[in-house]
Amino acid sequence: MAAIAKPLSRRHAEEHEDPREHLMHDPLPRGKMNEMVMEAMHETGWKFWVATGFLTLVVLGALVYAWYYLIMEGLGVAGVNRPVFWGIFLVNVVFWIGISHAGTFISAILRVLKVESRRPFTRAAELMTTFGLVQAGFSVFMHMGRVWLTYWMFPIPNERMLWPDFHSPLMWDLMAITTYLLSSTMYLFLPLIPDLAMARDRTEGGWRKTFYKILALGFRGTEGEWKNLTTAMNIFAFAIIPVMFSVHTIVSWDFAMASRPGWSSTVFGPYFVIGALHSGMAAVAIVLFLLRNTMKHYKYFIRPEHFDTIGMLMFMVSMAWAYFYFNDYIVPWYGGDVWAKLFQEWAEKGPHWYLWYIMLFCNIVVPWSILWNRKWRRTPWLLAIAGILINVGMWLERYIIIPEGLTINRMPFTWRVYVPGIEIALTIGLFALFFLLYMLASRLIPLIPVWEVQEGQEAHLIRKIGKAEISTLSDME
Amino acid sequence: MSESITMLAMFEDLDPTSEGIDKLYELGLGDDEMNVISGIPIKHTILGRPSAITYVSRIGMFGAILGMFLGLFFIYGIPYLYPLLVGGQPIYPVPQGIIITFEMTMLGLMGFSFIGMFVDSGFPSYTPKEYTPEISDGRVAILFSCPVADQKKFVDALTKAGAHSVEPAEARHL
Amino acid sequence: MTSNLELPVFTNNSEAELGGKWGMVVDRDLCTGCQACVAACSMENNVPFVGETDMAYGRGMHWIRVERLWEGLEADYQEVKMTSYQPLMCQQCHNAPCEPVCPVYAAVHSMSEDINLQVYNRCVGTRYCANNCPYQARVFNWRDYTDYRPGNTADNDPSWSVLQNHLNPDVTVRRRGVMEKCTFCIQRIHKAEDTAKSEGRDVRDGEVVPACAQACPANAITFGRIDDPESMVSKAAETSRGSLLLEEMRTQPRVTYLAGGA
Repeated sequence: MAAIAKPLSRRHAEEHEDPREHLMHDPLPRGKMNEMVMEAMHETGWKFWVATGFLTLVVLGALVYAWYYLIMEGLGVAGVNRPVFWGIFLVNVVFWIGISHAGTFISAILRVLKVESRRPFTRAAELMTTFGLVQAGFSVFMHMGRVWLTYWMFPIPNERMLWPDFHSPLMWDLMAITTYLLSSTMYLFLPLIPDLAMARDRTEGGWRKTFYKILALGFRGTEGEWKNLTTAMNIFAFAIIPVMFSVHTIVSWDFAMASRPGWSSTVFGPYFVIGALHSGMAAVAIVLFLLRNTMKHYKYFIRPEHFDTIGMLMFMVSMAWAYFYFNDYIVPWYGGDVWAKLFQEWAEKGPHWYLWYIMLFCNIVVPWSILWNRKWRRTPWLLAIAGILINVGMWLERYIIIPEGLTINRMPFTWRVYVPGIEIALTIGLFALFFLLYMLASRLIPLIPVWEVQEGQEAHLIRKIGKAEISTLSDME
Repeated sequence: MSESITMLAMFEDLDPTSEGIDKLYELGLGDDEMNVISGIPIKHTILGRPSAITYVSRIGMFGAILGMFLGLFFIYGIPYLYPLLVGGQPIYPVPQGIIITFEMTMLGLMGFSFIGMFVDSGFPSYTPKEYTPEISDGRVAILFSCPVADQKKFVDALTKAGAHSVEPAEARHL
Repeated sequence: MTSNLELPVFTNNSEAELGGKWGMVVDRDLCTGCQACVAACSMENNVPFVGETDMAYGRGMHWIRVERLWEGLEADYQEVKMTSYQPLMCQQCHNAPCEPVCPVYAAVHSMSEDINLQVYNRCVGTRYCANNCPYQARVFNWRDYTDYRPGNTADNDPSWSVLQNHLNPDVTVRRRGVMEKCTFCIQRIHKAEDTAKSEGRDVRDGEVVPACAQACPANAITFGRIDDPESMVSKAAETSRGSLLLEEMRTQPRVTYLAGGA
C-alpha cells in the first residue's frame, strides 16, 4: 500500500486557528487605534487613584522616610555587618538591573531580528528598562556609607586634585550603568516621538496639550524626519545590544573580580546576563498581564499570541539559565577547592538551605512545567504567576550569592549570619516606586506604539495558497 | 519667478499618493518642491521619491570617536595627571582601558545619534507649520508649492489621481 | 613641582622589592589571649565603643582581634582542642586586594612605608575593600559612634566633654559611613622618623612600638624594619616557625606568624 498521510485522530489546535487572532492580521484604521489608546490613557477610574494613593504613601513611608532615616543614622539601621558588608541593597541593584534587561532585549534584539509580534509591547518593555534602572541607581546610593559624597565618583575636574580610580570595578559599573540609563532613555524616547505627535494632535488645550506639544518637538512626519528617526532607531537597536550585555557582565564583575570563594568565577559574566534576562522576561509577562487587564482597549493590542512569544522566550532563557547555573556549580564542586566547596555546602545545608531549594524550584521547575504547553503559555494569568515565581527565584538567587555568600570567607572567626534590617522597608518602597512610576507613565504617554502597530499591519497580508490561508510579510522598511 | 503657493493634498492610501507624486513630477515640480507627510515611515521607493539624506549616522560616528577619546582620557589621562599606585596594578592598565573605552564609545555613538536626530530634523521647533492632525490618523499628505497661476491645474491633476482634498496649506501651531 | 611620575613602580611579582620597610612578627605560642592589645589599640587609635548589641552582631570596630579557633569534630567534645590564639590585624599586604577596588582612591599604597593607607576623608563607603580583604581586617563605621552632631557635643552638653577626653589628638575621629583599619600606628612611625631626622640619624630598632606591641604582657608582638636584616623583627621572621596567613593568595603580607614550638 502506498504511503498515505494518516490524519491525527485529535486535530492539533493550531490547524483551526484563525489568522485574525493575530493583531497583525486584525487591522483597525489608524484613527480608531489612536482613539483607543488615547481613551485608555484618559479614562481613569477610582481604582487607579486608590492604587496610586496607596503606592504614594508606601513610597513616602518605606522609601523616602526610611532612606532619610538611613542616611541620618548611618548603615547601622540596616542589617549589614562584618563579614556581610553588602546586603540586600546590592541584591536589589542586581535584581533591578536584571529587570531592566528585558526591555532592551525585547525592543532591540527582537527589532533587529524583525520578530513581528514584538510590535505592541516594545514600549511597555522599554519603560521597564528605564524605571528599573532608576530603582537600581537608588539601591546603589542607599548602599553607600556616605551618599552625599557620590559626586566624588564622577570624573569631573575638581579642587581635591583627585579623580576617580578606573581600576575599580565600581567605576566600570558607574560608567556602564550611566551609559545604559542614558541610552535606554533615549531609545525609549525615539519611537515615542510620533506617538507624542499623535497625542498632541488629539488633545485640545489644557496642560496635556502643552506637555505633548513640548515633548513631540514639532514632529510632523515628513520624509526627512522619518528618515532621521528610523536611522537613529536603527543605530540604537544595534548599539544598545552590546551595551546591554556589557552592563550585566560588569555588574557580575563586581563580584567575580573579588577574590572570594564562590564569587571568583569566570562564568559569572554570561551567567548574570542570562539571569537578568530570566527575571526580565518574567517581569515583562507580569507587566503585560497587568496592562491587558487594567487598561481599557488593551485586550485588542495585547493578545494571547504575545504571551505565547514571551512564554517561549522565558522557557528558552530558563533553560539557558539552568545551563549556566550548572556550569557555575559543577566546576567548583568537581575541582574540590576547600573554600568553594564550603560556599556550596553553606547554600545547600547552611541555616538558610531552604532558599536554595526555593530558588531551584522557582527558576527551573516552575517554568519547565508550565511553559512547554502552548495552551498554558497563551493563558495570561498563568504566565503572570510563572513570572512572579521566577522573579522570586531570581531575587533569591542574588540573595544567595551576595549576603549568603559573604557569610563564608577565609577567616572562619568572623563568620556571622546576616539579618536584614531597614533594607526590607526600602525594598518594599522600591517596588512601590516602580509600580507608581509605571502607573503615572501609563496616564501620560501612549504605552502602545501605535505607529509601529500600523506599520506592521500594513506589511502583513493573508495570502491564499492552495487551500490554506498563509500569513505573509512584505518588506516595507 | 512668479508668486507661489503651498498646497496640501490629502490621500487615503499609498497607491494614489504615488500616482499623485508622478503627476506633480509631470507638471514640472522638482524633488525639493514637494514633501510627503505620513503617520508611518514609508519606503521612498514605494512613492517613487528620492531617498532622503540623513546625517544622523555620520554625526553618530563622530560622537563615537569623541567618546572613544574621552574614554582613553579617563583611563590613561587621569592617572597621568594624578598617578596613584593601588594594589600592585599598573598605572596604565590595558584591560580596564578596554572596558572604559568601550562604554564611552557606545555612549558617544548613541548620544550623538540622538542629538544628530534633533539637529538634522531641526527639533525642537515650535513655530507654525503646514500640517493637519488627520495625518497622524493614517492619512498621507503631499506638501508641495506651485505657482499661484497654475493652482487649478495642480488641484485637478491630484484630484484625478485620487486625492481626498487639495487645499492651500496654512501654517498653524501644532 | 616635582613630577610624580618618577615614583618607583612596583609589580606583584618583583621579589627584589619584597623587602618593604615596616613589618611585624606575632608569636602565637607566646600569646595568652589577654586582649590587652585590643584595648591598647582602641585607645591609641580612637576606635569607638559600639555597644553590646552591635558588637554581638558583628559590628565591633577593633582594628586588632584575637581569634580563638578550635580543632576537632564538633560531635566528639573529647577530641576538641583549642589552637593557639591568633591576633589578627591588617596584614599591610604588598599586593593588596583592597586597594584597586576603591573607586575614589581611599585605599592607596604608601610608597615610603610600603603599607596600605586608608584615607578616611576620601571614603564614600562602598565597602568593596572590606569584601575583597581575605583577612577580614577592615571595619566600618556603621553609625556615628563618636557623635559630634549638634546637641551631642561638649559645647551643648557638658556631660559629653568627659567622654571625649580619652581621644588621642594624633589620630582623627571617623564619622559614620567610613571604612577604617589598622595603620601599624602610623602616627608613632612618623613621630619616631621625625625625631630621628631632627637628630640626624636613622630610626633605631625598637624605637617604634605600636600600641598593641607596647601593651602585650607576653611580648608576643615584635615590630620593626624588615628591610634591615639585623633588626629583631627580621630575625624573628626568618625562623623556621614563621608563616604568612593565606600565603597562597599572593598578597605578600607584612605580618609573619610564629607557631609550632621552638
